[in-house]
Amino acid sequence: MNLWAKRLAWGFLVVLTVAAIVAPWLPVVDYRVMDADARLLPPGSAGHVLGTDAQGRDLLARLLFGARISLLVGAVGTLVAMLIGLPYGAVAGLRGGRVDRFLMRLADALESVPMVVMVLFLLSVLREYRVEMEVIGFGRLQLFLVAIGFLFWLPTARVARAESLRISRLPFVTAARLQGMSTFAQLRRHILPNLWPTLRVMWLLTIPRVILMEAFLSFLGLGVEAPAVSWGGLASDGLAAMNPLVASWWLLALPSAALVLTLLALQQVGRGEDSAV
Amino acid sequence: MNARLLRRALMLVATILLVHAAAFFLMRTTRGGPFDEARALDPQVKLALEQRYGLDEPLAVQYWHALTGLWQGDFGPSLRYREVSVADLLADALPVSFAVGGGALLWGLLFGIPLGMVAAGARRRLLGQSATTLATVLLALPNFVLAGAAIALFSFALGWLPPAGTGGLAHLFLPSLCLGLPLAAQISLLVRDAASERWQSAGVRHARALGLSGQRLWWAHILKPSLTPVLAFLGPATAAVLTGSLVIERIFALPGLGTFFVEAALNRDYTLALGVTVVYTALLGLATFFADVLLMKLDPRVEALS
Repeated sequence: MNLWAKRLAWGFLVVLTVAAIVAPWLPVVDYRVMDADARLLPPGSAGHVLGTDAQGRDLLARLLFGARISLLVGAVGTLVAMLIGLPYGAVAGLRGGRVDRFLMRLADALESVPMVVMVLFLLSVLREYRVEMEVIGFGRLQLFLVAIGFLFWLPTARVARAESLRISRLPFVTAARLQGMSTFAQLRRHILPNLWPTLRVMWLLTIPRVILMEAFLSFLGLGVEAPAVSWGGLASDGLAAMNPLVASWWLLALPSAALVLTLLALQQVGRGEDSAV
Repeated sequence: MNARLLRRALMLVATILLVHAAAFFLMRTTRGGPFDEARALDPQVKLALEQRYGLDEPLAVQYWHALTGLWQGDFGPSLRYREVSVADLLADALPVSFAVGGGALLWGLLFGIPLGMVAAGARRRLLGQSATTLATVLLALPNFVLAGAAIALFSFALGWLPPAGTGGLAHLFLPSLCLGLPLAAQISLLVRDAASERWQSAGVRHARALGLSGQRLWWAHILKPSLTPVLAFLGPATAAVLTGSLVIERIFALPGLGTFFVEAALNRDYTLALGVTVVYTALLGLATFFADVLLMKLDPRVEALS
């Protein structure tokens, strides 16, 4: 049963990723086009398989293009987090002693700061510099990826530290050290290559949390900006459109379903890899 | 132990000061001042406003004022809701957030611990496996999805509970539940793992060999030691509640800290945002601190390790 769940999860993720990548070339309606005559159509309407939103935009197209943002932020944001956490933890574990104590104390202190609140604060302040940032090619999305990386690097740093501590005590690394190999060379030749399997699992396990965070920030209106869409933003619109009189349930249910299915699939895949290591 | 506690307390104070300083300088050095709205103000009016809020003084003096204000719990006037001080807004918002957040923690413990015990106790049977599946599904549900579903079901379809606003316990039920269920999922997984481990431990094997079974075995020898990780989780749980409250309070239109913070962040009301950030830092620090103290009291090994 577990095997089938895992195959299903992989299959779903592959199909979703491919669909997200080729979305601009798929024969769907433009996700930005508003149609005043086709507002709030329920799923199954002619021309709009999954219905339309309050401005008459096609929900299927919006979900597809939302997948692009959500998956991109998930994968790349996690990568950024690892790029910060990995050297930090690896150096702490390998050097040990005072360096290790200092780095880990700092990490402890950062952990006791409500990071999400700080990042929101930073994002809102940085909105003042939007124009300048755009000039140096640093748009909303790039900013967002860095923020995500900043929010999620700590667990990676801890895992990387524990692993590099373990590896640095293995006989062959000790031998290399005794022969006078520099710290950097040890890192490059021995620590990092052996950290790889653990990191792969970490990466898979962190992606769903990052996607969740992106949805969360977009939901608050501090995520990607229109006309770009993400699943969190779509769900936010759906929730805003929900009231007891107009039953436009699909606007909330479908983005939510896309998000939850993806997260479940990622969880399944991550757990499978976890037990394999 | 006292030395350790003292160090932790000092670190908490240092963290609050650092967060305050970071937020303060970030907000003061940002170009867009609070009075640079779309409608340009008369230079004289602007000057008068800046004088009134002390924005014309040197940065160091402003910081000193902010520090003494912090000591007295005074964050200055809100830049958005003119005439109202940030401290007053915070005082109004705190009880709401406490009620929702406290309720969420309570739901988390109330559902999480039994769910985890069921998952561990019946792990070879369908019941235990469904408990684990339920927890993993709950973990993948963002709380706004939960909130949307809960409002659609309990407020619109059944009409049992109000969909938004304040008023009484009925208004707090859904928000705290939606905030608490993901916590319950995490707590249940912690309890499940700890309890399964206890089940295979030498102590429990010995107790069973001596003929101990049933309630006493489960309560005293399995449940009680399995609660230590839950206690250690209280710090991160508080962080999760604070984060989640940003969304939940907004959805349910509750005038709590989270709502104020998001609005402040969107409206450039930096003094209010600063106040909420500091309060959040203090709350999270205190929760972690107390969880630590409790943990040390209950599990002497924690102290020995550090």
